[in-house]
Amino acid sequence: MSSTRLLLVDDEERFLETTRKLLQKRGVETFTAANGIDALKVLEDHRIDVVILDVKMPGLDGVEVLRKIKQKYPLIEVVMLTGHASVESAVEGLKLGAYDYVMKPLAIEDMLKKVNEAYDKKRAMEDKIRKAKVDRIISHPMAVFEKEED
Amino acid sequence: MKKQTADSDRFKRTRLMILSRVLLVPFVAVMLVFGTLVYYFAGNLRGHVARELSQIADGHCRLIDQFLSGLTFQLQFVAASHNFESITRNGRLPEVLQQLQAGSHALLDLGVFDENGNHVAYVGPYDLKGKNYSQTDWFVAVREKGIYVSDVFLGYRNIPHFVIAVGRSEGGRSWYLRATVDTLYFNNLVEGIRVGKTGEAYLLNEQGIFQTTRRSGGELMEPDTDHGIYQSEADGVRSFSAESTAGGRHLYATCRLHETGWLLVVRQEIADAYAPLIRAVLIAIGIIVAGGAVVVTMGFFLASGLANQLTVAAMEKRQMGSQLIMAGKLAEVGEMSAGIAHEINNPLQVMKAEETLMMDIFKEMQADGTLPDNENVRMLRDSINQIDLQIDRCKKITQGLLRFARQSETTIQTIEIPSFMRDVVGMVERKANVENIRIVQEFEDGLPSLESDPAQLQQVFLNLFNNAIDALKGRDNGEIRVTAKQEDAMLAVAVTDNGCGIPEQNLEKVFLPFFTTKPVGRGTGLGLSTCYGIVERLGGQITVSSEVNAGSAFTVRLPLSGSRSHAETRPTTNSKGGNNA
Repeated sequence: MSSTRLLLVDDEERFLETTRKLLQKRGVETFTAANGIDALKVLEDHRIDVVILDVKMPGLDGVEVLRKIKQKYPLIEVVMLTGHASVESAVEGLKLGAYDYVMKPLAIEDMLKKVNEAYDKKRAMEDKIRKAKVDRIISHPMAVFEKEED
Repeated sequence: MKKQTADSDRFKRTRLMILSRVLLVPFVAVMLVFGTLVYYFAGNLRGHVARELSQIADGHCRLIDQFLSGLTFQLQFVAASHNFESITRNGRLPEVLQQLQAGSHALLDLGVFDENGNHVAYVGPYDLKGKNYSQTDWFVAVREKGIYVSDVFLGYRNIPHFVIAVGRSEGGRSWYLRATVDTLYFNNLVEGIRVGKTGEAYLLNEQGIFQTTRRSGGELMEPDTDHGIYQSEADGVRSFSAESTAGGRHLYATCRLHETGWLLVVRQEIADAYAPLIRAVLIAIGIIVAGGAVVVTMGFFLASGLANQLTVAAMEKRQMGSQLIMAGKLAEVGEMSAGIAHEINNPLQVMKAEETLMMDIFKEMQADGTLPDNENVRMLRDSINQIDLQIDRCKKITQGLLRFARQSETTIQTIEIPSFMRDVVGMVERKANVENIRIVQEFEDGLPSLESDPAQLQQVFLNLFNNAIDALKGRDNGEIRVTAKQEDAMLAVAVTDNGCGIPEQNLEKVFLPFFTTKPVGRGTGLGLSTCYGIVERLGGQITVSSEVNAGSAFTVRLPLSGSRSHAETRPTTNSKGGNNA
């Protein structure tokens, strides 16, 4: 199993830096972005499995970023990170397809746990899709030449 | 306590105001009307009584005058129609007396006297013939005036009587005819006048000697001690009231007789004369007192009822006002604390990450053996652990704040309050037992079940119980009373203790976050604010009433239906609206 590729989005630079170090040490390949625009850029350039996304950010808001991610990369799992215990934004996030939400401050072990769960879910989903494709190729071999979906 | 006395003061003031305005004003008006009526009635009656007495005096005065002048006239007639010889002739005088007595029984006897006062002829019950009267008062007077009516005197017969005498001049000589008036007859004539119970009439001569007897005491020929009262030069009828020497106030009417100059006195005791007036006034006073008592009693109850309603209304208004203010204040504080919690959580997150990194570095150094094992390193590690602990502590505080201010997920279930409360009590019972506190549970029968969040409610009541136990620490006879009853569409659960109570100035702060009276480190001051937040979210209300050293009561009212509707209308700032500078 290759390492999880994680994108951490938060407007606290120091938090990004430190958390990246911690996660790297724990075998998670971590990318960081300080805002929504950067995050979307990173997603374009790299293949990412899980995104941890701060809800409250200047510029592009967390919920907006989530919407865009889910539009473009529906298979990427997103965990919302919030300083609020606000059910509203959490529920909104979940409705838009976020995997879960966690409260700040969060211990690194808890973060890792959530990331792994999300990654497992993504893997299961990908497996399912792969399996479906294989099934289709077996039944319709010509489908190999059809345009592959993301 | 202060509030209660203020309320009772207000109650008394209001009642007094209503009593005085509703009752006193009409009462004074009625009293004025009554007083005026009695005054005029009394004046009228007094005048009436005095007039009546005067009329009696006047009437009888004329009557007696007529009687005496009638007798005098008869005697004059007899004298004129006889000469000395014919009147003294044997048998003529009894004949004349008989004729006179046929007209009136007033005459007792009849006598003829010569000019020297010798009694030459007599007819009557006494043996007076032959006696000489030349020195008697009446004979001297009649010789001088020709007609004379005497005062009452004893005379030869030694019995009180008075006489009427007329003189006749015949040629060169004079003779005199004298008649004695029947004292009994005359007395009855005057004494027979009666007015009311005590009204009486009597005659006095100019010297104030009784000429008739007086019913209330006063024999013939005795001097009247009251004579001074009615001495008057005025002619005609006079009426007045005066104190008699024997005591007792009387109403008098006097009239002087023309014939004799005697004074007819008609008098009546004041109390008797004014008896109808006094009776009428007494009846009126009785009615006023009885009616007044009824009116006052009714007014008192009415005023009490009204004042009570007003006081309750004022109290409710005040309570509602303070509750509104408190709710507004708490909402504001909620907004603020949510913001603070969020802003604190971000740096906390950074600190947490840094702390974890430090620990990671330690672990790595330990693993590759570059970590020296000395006191400083141990102290550093301990210090980092302490930072971790303090971050967790901050986290608890911010989470508490957020619980007070923000919605968290509610899981609605059906709750049977009695069994639910018994479970909660079961959780604190051990702690209460240690402090020697009794927990009494009283639940109304047939309480409806509730749709609410049991986990959050449990937190609320555990908090309330813990506070109650704290309030009862170190006190004897500690008791916590849990009651539940239905109030309209609400279910009210009250937790009441008889502990130290909350001072009035603290009462409106108890639900504010971070308000605590516990020593530093013992409480965050978030317990009751969390309760408030939860109960509000569940669409209910939490209220407190307390008295220092008597205890506190926290009442949680929960809606029996529609518990979610309130939560949805509660204003919140969501993540989009906020900023993070």
